[in-house]
Amino acid sequence: MNHLLWRKKFFILLVLLSLLSWFAPVPLIAQEERKDLRPERGISVYTEYSGITIPKGETVKMDLTLENKGKTDETIDVKISEVPKGWKATLKGGSYLVTGMFVSNGKSRSLALTLEPDKTVGPGTYVFHFDARTEDGKFTSSHKLAVTVKERDPGMDDIQLVTSYPVLRGQTDARFEFSVEVVNKIEVDRTFNLTAIGPEKWEINFKPSYETKQISSLRIRGGQSQTVAVEVTPPRDAQAGEYPILVRVSSGEKKAEAKLTVILTGIYKIDAGTPTGVLSLEAFPGKPANFSIFVKNTGSAVNRNITFSSFKPENWEVTFKPEKIDALEPNALKQVEVTVKPAPQALVGDYSVGVLVNGEKSDKTIEMRVTVKASTAWGWIGVGIILFVIAGLSALFIWLGRR
Amino acid sequence: MHGIITIIRKEMEDHFSSTRFLLISALIVMVGVIITSMVGMAIQEELKGMAKPTLVFLLLFTATGKLFSFVQFIGFFGPLIGIFLGFDSINRERVSRTLTKLLSQPIYRDSVINGKFFSGVIVIAIVLVAIVLLISGLGIRLIGVVPGVEEVWRLIIYILISLLYISFWLGIAILFSVIFRSTATSALASLALWIFFSFFVGLGAGVLADALAPISQSQTYVDPGIIIKHEKIQRIVSLFSPMTLYSEATNTLLDPMRKTTRGLILMGPLERLSISRFQNPLPLEESILIVIPHLLSIVAITFLCFGICYLIFMRQEIRTI
Repeated sequence: MNHLLWRKKFFILLVLLSLLSWFAPVPLIAQEERKDLRPERGISVYTEYSGITIPKGETVKMDLTLENKGKTDETIDVKISEVPKGWKATLKGGSYLVTGMFVSNGKSRSLALTLEPDKTVGPGTYVFHFDARTEDGKFTSSHKLAVTVKERDPGMDDIQLVTSYPVLRGQTDARFEFSVEVVNKIEVDRTFNLTAIGPEKWEINFKPSYETKQISSLRIRGGQSQTVAVEVTPPRDAQAGEYPILVRVSSGEKKAEAKLTVILTGIYKIDAGTPTGVLSLEAFPGKPANFSIFVKNTGSAVNRNITFSSFKPENWEVTFKPEKIDALEPNALKQVEVTVKPAPQALVGDYSVGVLVNGEKSDKTIEMRVTVKASTAWGWIGVGIILFVIAGLSALFIWLGRR
Repeated sequence: MHGIITIIRKEMEDHFSSTRFLLISALIVMVGVIITSMVGMAIQEELKGMAKPTLVFLLLFTATGKLFSFVQFIGFFGPLIGIFLGFDSINRERVSRTLTKLLSQPIYRDSVINGKFFSGVIVIAIVLVAIVLLISGLGIRLIGVVPGVEEVWRLIIYILISLLYISFWLGIAILFSVIFRSTATSALASLALWIFFSFFVGLGAGVLADALAPISQSQTYVDPGIIIKHEKIQRIVSLFSPMTLYSEATNTLLDPMRKTTRGLILMGPLERLSISRFQNPLPLEESILIVIPHLLSIVAITFLCFGICYLIFMRQEIRTI
């Protein structure tokens, strides 16, 4: 009994609630209908630009927009009704080729239009037609796009290579790194291939700046530029001279070139040592001792102005004869006399004396072990004294003995 | 010649049978053994874990254990052996009136003085060789290192120098025994001279050096030239002492790493770097060449001392006493 009464009450509540919700939004809808002046139905199709000019061989990419002008939602079919010969036109939405799409009332939606010419397409004006119609075919819209193809202007290339230092100079065993800035002048992202032509056996690598990986192509955003390091390693046996290197950056048909130059000066290397290979020397305190060293140019460049210096204890004298070598041809050998004079108060023992040969961009150190020996002069004086004393003693024995 | 040999034999009989000799050699042997065992144990401790120690054996003689090294000990107390062996050699004969009896035999007068001197030298040699052999044996047992050929040579030369040095003191003692009639006087004179050379020469050298090249204690910076001059004066003066001659010579000879007899060396930073590049011991001949002025001085003063002693004894009137 009680249960039944409960149910009744609940039902009434429900009805009341539903009535309330029904009546409330009605005045709002009426207000909107009063303002809307759009036609019942209407569509249009158009591209971003209706006429463009491009260089030969370039692909056109732009948006195709479908607009629903009416009050009703529409499903619009779209097609490219006229494509000039030699062109390939595609309409894409996301990753699909699109033939129709739904556009809700008052809204517009875009599709990506790509117009790709093949190689036969010459200069001239090409007209593309786009047709759109509603599903029931009652409303249609068409649009025309004129593409004028012009011959490529050679001076107006859209890739540019900029090098601040096109000529580098250095030793043969050095590594040369050019910095080349690749500028993408058009507003489209592109991938560029990098190639280089250099002398035989030379190693030429492209690297992103401040990175070690080697690259052969790079992608640059439209209108931006990127710096590429060109690393050149000459072979070890390369002769001194000038070597041109051609760096080519290409993207499709377009390319740009830059000429880089490496000037090799040869290797600066000298060797020095004693003719016998003996690196020790005996000397007496305060007395000069001689030895000779050879200086050899083992590099491939002329070594000029070779000087000598020494690392030695204080008060020691190390002199060289000749004092310097003006020029030493590759593979030439020259002998230098070295005189080492220990200090008069030098202790007996082994000293380390360094002989430094300072050439152009190269040097060599020879460490000599100089053994300072005790002077024997005192010994002879002493022997004299002893002989004198013994003689005196003997004389005494003879004079006073046998008494 | 026959007379000399007889005298030497008789003198040595006297020496070896005297209590005095027994006491002094017992003292020296005891001290030597104590020092060596002390030094040996210290070396043993120090060399633990060292891969290949070089010239360790000589350390037995030069290392100062807790008190002083064997070389220092001989340098200081070695003269006492010489003095004790010789201070009464002539005047005792004189006092007991045996000298005239001796000379009435068919023995020349120079044989007496020569024989007395040489018998002393032989006894000293026996004592020295015995001690060095004792220490060597004990050292080999303690540290387990066998001496190399060069070390043996250095020890032989060391014994020769020590022999000459102690013989010099023997000569001094005999000289005083010739000059003074009383044995007590000659003993005191010898001891006084020993004390003078041992203590006062070194002290006087310091005083003289301070007077001529004063190093002020208050200043923080001291001119190295002054220090060198100070050191030089001190060294020259102290070299008048045979003890300094002997200790410098033997220290340099027994330590192959020592490159000079000088105590203080002025060395620039580059020189220090240069010499520290090759750290190896000097060969024996170099060590000898360094100390040769010292060696010759010791030889010369020993000969000179004996010569004077000989001269005075030969010119002395003996029979009238």
